Amino acid sequence: MKSPSLKRRLRAWGRRQLYSLLSSLGTLLGHRLGTVMTVLVLGIAMVLPLGLYVAMHNARALDLQVDEWGSITVFLNAGVSAEQVEAFSQQITARGEVQVVAISPQQGMQEFRDASGFGAALDVLDSNPLPWVLQVRSEEASGEQLAPVVEALSGWLEAQELVDSVLVDHKWLQRLAGLLRLGSALVTILTVMFSLAVVVVIANTIRLDVANRAAEIEILSLVGAGDSFIRQPFLYSGFWYGLMGAVLALVFLHLSLAYLSLPLHQLLDAYGNAFALRGLDWTQLGAVLLCGGFLGFLGAWISVQRYLRALRRHGSLQQL
Amino acid sequence: MIRFEHVSKKYPGGRAALSDINFELQPGEMVFLTGHSGAGKSTLLRLILMQEQATRGQVLVNGTNLSKTPLRMAPQVRQGIGMIFQDHKLLSDKTIFDNVALPLMIAGLRYVEIRKRVRAALDKVGLLSREKARPLQLSGGEQQRVGIARAIVGMPPVLLADEPTGNLDPQLSAELFGLFEQLNRQGVTVLIASHDLRLIRSMGHRVLVLSNGALIDDIPARQASTAAS
Repeated sequence: MKSPSLKRRLRAWGRRQLYSLLSSLGTLLGHRLGTVMTVLVLGIAMVLPLGLYVAMHNARALDLQVDEWGSITVFLNAGVSAEQVEAFSQQITARGEVQVVAISPQQGMQEFRDASGFGAALDVLDSNPLPWVLQVRSEEASGEQLAPVVEALSGWLEAQELVDSVLVDHKWLQRLAGLLRLGSALVTILTVMFSLAVVVVIANTIRLDVANRAAEIEILSLVGAGDSFIRQPFLYSGFWYGLMGAVLALVFLHLSLAYLSLPLHQLLDAYGNAFALRGLDWTQLGAVLLCGGFLGFLGAWISVQRYLRALRRHGSLQQL
Repeated sequence: MIRFEHVSKKYPGGRAALSDINFELQPGEMVFLTGHSGAGKSTLLRLILMQEQATRGQVLVNGTNLSKTPLRMAPQVRQGIGMIFQDHKLLSDKTIFDNVALPLMIAGLRYVEIRKRVRAALDKVGLLSREKARPLQLSGGEQQRVGIARAIVGMPPVLLADEPTGNLDPQLSAELFGLFEQLNRQGVTVLIASHDLRLIRSMGHRVLVLSNGALIDDIPARQASTAAS
């Protein structure tokens, strides 16, 4: 006996939702200018944390050449012979899990010629001024343990007779990692702040909407509408605001990425870095839209709930 | 159908809007509620609609004791009552059709069912041809009839009307009361608050008379009729 009644009630609920949804869309389209301005504000508020997030995301992709983390560049004294280099390489390899790549002055000159574009100018030099270079990479440690190992290794290398100077690459990478962590924290703060702003903007918009329609709400209540029927169209309005704000934010974001992409490529090409600017993937796009909609829903709920309490207490909204 | 037992309503500040009201409406009755303005007619209707609750006594509507019903149940109570207001209380930005459809949308009926019933209700009040109009495009009498269509579309067992003819000329008022009588003949219990004494007397229905918050007279149907003749 109970199941058909439950089924009927579920259907009735579904139809009420549909009526509310259509009614909320009608209201938004009815106040076109107001809707556009609200959505514009929301879009801008959402694109700021989103943009920073994407920037951090890309910066982290840059730093993915983790193999260079433990890399030490050793410049040997001028005039060292190939045999000496060979022997020294073996001496280093014997110290533990390290890989050594030797770059002769000729190879170095060739690379420099290719990369710098100073080709013709270099021909002026009558001798090759470049020393032998060894690239030493530790393989036994990674992450946190890497730093002390690299520290010890570079200390020992500096003390060797053949060595002119030692360059440790991981320092600036560590600094970059620190900056990235700071950036991530900033993204978190901005996300929280701007989410709050989105909720407040939508709550205020819906509050005005409710106030404008106080007479209508009272009539609905008098002909037997329950709280949920009165609340529903406003919640949907909030949801639409949030969703449209999120869509606009994504449009802003991708326009910005498209605009930045060319100059960024030119810049990174000059550093010899092949790099593709990354936007958001499908899951992230979905999450952004969902979050926008949810924030709108939340803002509307906060706003409308206050009025419903007043309506129940006084039997009318006139006192507000 | 509607029963008041020793009902009093005091507002904060001590003013007594109603004091010790007792009466009962049988199913299928048509009753007028009259009295000077401020006598408590509106307060009495507000109690039936659960816009307010009695300070003392019991109000029973459709078998529900409103004095023991929490305010959050008010929507269910109102769904069993068709209410007609002096100022129509129509949604001005919605069509006549949408206005009348409101109680059915709240009930969550299917759209085809809603369309059928709304058309029937509009037909009954003679406004089927205006279903696409907006309330402000209609005359006062027509707007009031839209209000009646909205009140009867959900087929509630009770109709309440608060000064339904307040802004209408005598001929329109008589027509409107004729419409109420017609609905009453179909079995709906009707309670109309009105101070249009001349018209009320001519119709010969039961009349409740309020004065300063007290029920001072309860004229039965036939007697009211003979008093008029």
